[in-house]
Amino acid sequence: MSGLFDIVGPVMVGPSSSHTAGAVRLAILARNIAQKPIQSVRFDLYNSFAKTYKGHGTDRGLLAGMMGFSVQDDRIRDAYSWAEKLHLEYEMLPIESSNHFSPNTVVFKMILEDGENLTVVGHSIGGGKVYVSKINDYNVSLKGEFPTLLLFYKDQPGMIWQASKVIAEKSINIASLTCTRRKRGIEAFMSIALDAPLPSGFLESFREAFRQIPDVYSVRAIDQLPL
Amino acid sequence: MSDFQSFDQLLTYCQERQNSIWQAALTQEVEDSGRTEEAILNGIHQLVAQMRATIESGIASDDPSMSGLSGGDAKRMMAFLQDSNCVLSPLNIRMMAYGLATLEENSRMRKIVACPTAGGSGSVPAVLIALEDEQKVSREKTVSGLITAGCIGEIVSKRMHLSGAAAGCQAEVGVASGMAAGAMVEMLGGSPQQVLHAAAISMQNLMGLVCDPVAGLVEVPCVVRNGLSGVQAAAAATMALAGVKSFIPIDEVVDAMAEIGKLMPRQLKESADGGLAQTPTARAFTNRFFQMSNKASNLY
Repeated sequence: MSGLFDIVGPVMVGPSSSHTAGAVRLAILARNIAQKPIQSVRFDLYNSFAKTYKGHGTDRGLLAGMMGFSVQDDRIRDAYSWAEKLHLEYEMLPIESSNHFSPNTVVFKMILEDGENLTVVGHSIGGGKVYVSKINDYNVSLKGEFPTLLLFYKDQPGMIWQASKVIAEKSINIASLTCTRRKRGIEAFMSIALDAPLPSGFLESFREAFRQIPDVYSVRAIDQLPL
Repeated sequence: MSDFQSFDQLLTYCQERQNSIWQAALTQEVEDSGRTEEAILNGIHQLVAQMRATIESGIASDDPSMSGLSGGDAKRMMAFLQDSNCVLSPLNIRMMAYGLATLEENSRMRKIVACPTAGGSGSVPAVLIALEDEQKVSREKTVSGLITAGCIGEIVSKRMHLSGAAAGCQAEVGVASGMAAGAMVEMLGGSPQQVLHAAAISMQNLMGLVCDPVAGLVEVPCVVRNGLSGVQAAAAATMALAGVKSFIPIDEVVDAMAEIGKLMPRQLKESADGGLAQTPTARAFTNRFFQMSNKASNLY
C-alpha cells in the first residue's frame, strides 16, 4: 500500500529517487536491522545499481544512510568525507548483473561491533520506495512502513502466542505477521509489523517476556522509515 | 471503504458523493494514515512550499550540475520572457523554466520534491507554481491540485512500478505529466471526468518513452524532458477542459503502459546501454566522466 506522501514526496536531495533516496532509505533500514554499531560494511551492487551508482549518487546515499542521515540531509553530497570523519569502514563492489535480483539491488554485508556477521538484501523499487527481502538466510518483506519486531529463535511451539500476548497487553494492533523457519525444530524467524509506534519501555518488556523461553537468539525493533 | 485500486472505482466514489478527486483522496489518506485532515493538508502545504523554493533557487542559479552536464537553462528561459521572439505565452515559458529549474537543482544534489520520482520531479511543480504566478491561482487551489496529482500517481503505482529501471521514462516523466495534467484541470475547476481524461491523454502522448540517460546521469535528456513535460501536460489539460476525451479509459491506458514497460528491452530502461546514452557524443562524454570520477572518487 502506498500513501499520498509516497507519491508526492519525499523532499529529498537529488538526483534520483530510486538510486539516491532509495539508497539512503535502504541503508537506514539495514542500519536499523543491525541495531548495533557497524564496524564495516561491504555494499554489493547489482544490475542498475552496479551500472549507474556513481552518477546517481547511490554510493553517497548508501554511506549517508549507514551514518543515519535522512534523504533530505545536505551532508549526502559530502558523504565520502563524512564517512572518513565518522570512521565508517566500507567497500563498494559493483557486480554487473544477476537475474535473481530486481533492477536496483544492494546486498549489505555488515560486520558489527561484536564481530557478528549480518547480511541484508535490499531493493529500491522507485520513488524512494524500498524493501528488504532477506536478512541472513531468512526471506522477509520489510518495507519500513510500520514499526516492526524481528525475532530469531529456535523453532518451537507457542512463540506466536507469546508474542501476540505481550503486544495485545499493550493494546497495539498487529498489521501483519510473518513466520518462517530454516529447518523444522532448528531455527525460525518472526516479523511482526505494528500499527502504532512502540511505547517507551515496550521493547524491554517484550524482551523480558522472551527471556524465560530458551533459545530466543535475538529480539529487534525496527523503526518505521521516515518518508 | 475508499482504497482505490482503479480510476473507475475512484470516479464512482466521486460521483456517488458529489466529491472532487482531491476530496476523495484526502478522505482516503485520513483513513489509511490515521492522521488528521489538518495534518495532511499541512504536509501538502509544506511540499508546495518546497517546490516553490526549489524553483526559485533553480531559476536564480548559474551553477553547473555535479557532472557539469547541465545547469543554467532555467535562468536562460526566464530571461527569454523579455525577448521579442518569445511567441509562446508567459505561462508556457514559466512552465518550461520551472521544470528545468527543478531538474537542474536535482542534478546539483540539492533538495527537490520527488513527484512521483526525482527524474520526473519537474512536471507537477512547473504546472502548479506557474499557475500561481501567472494566473494568480490561490494556494488552496494549488494544494487541491497537488492532492489530485498524488491521487493519480498513487493509483498508477498500484498497477506498475514507477521507475525508469522497471518501465522506462514513461513511468517517470510520463506518469508525472499525467499527474500534472489532472492537477491543472482540478485547479481550473474541471470535473473529475475531465481530470482523468486529461491524465489519460497526457500519459498516452508519452507512452513508450524510454529511459536512456547519458552516462546514467539524471540530466540528458531528463532536464529538457522535464522542461517540456509541464507544457505538454498543460496542453492535455486544455484539451480535456475543451471537451476532448480519451477514447481508451485511463485504467486501460495505465495497463497498456505497464505492458509496454515489460516489453521494453533492458537496454532502454535506465541502464545507459541504448538510445541517447549510446550515441557517439554520449559515449565520449561517458568515457571522460568515468576517467575523471575514477581519479577523484570523492568528487563523484
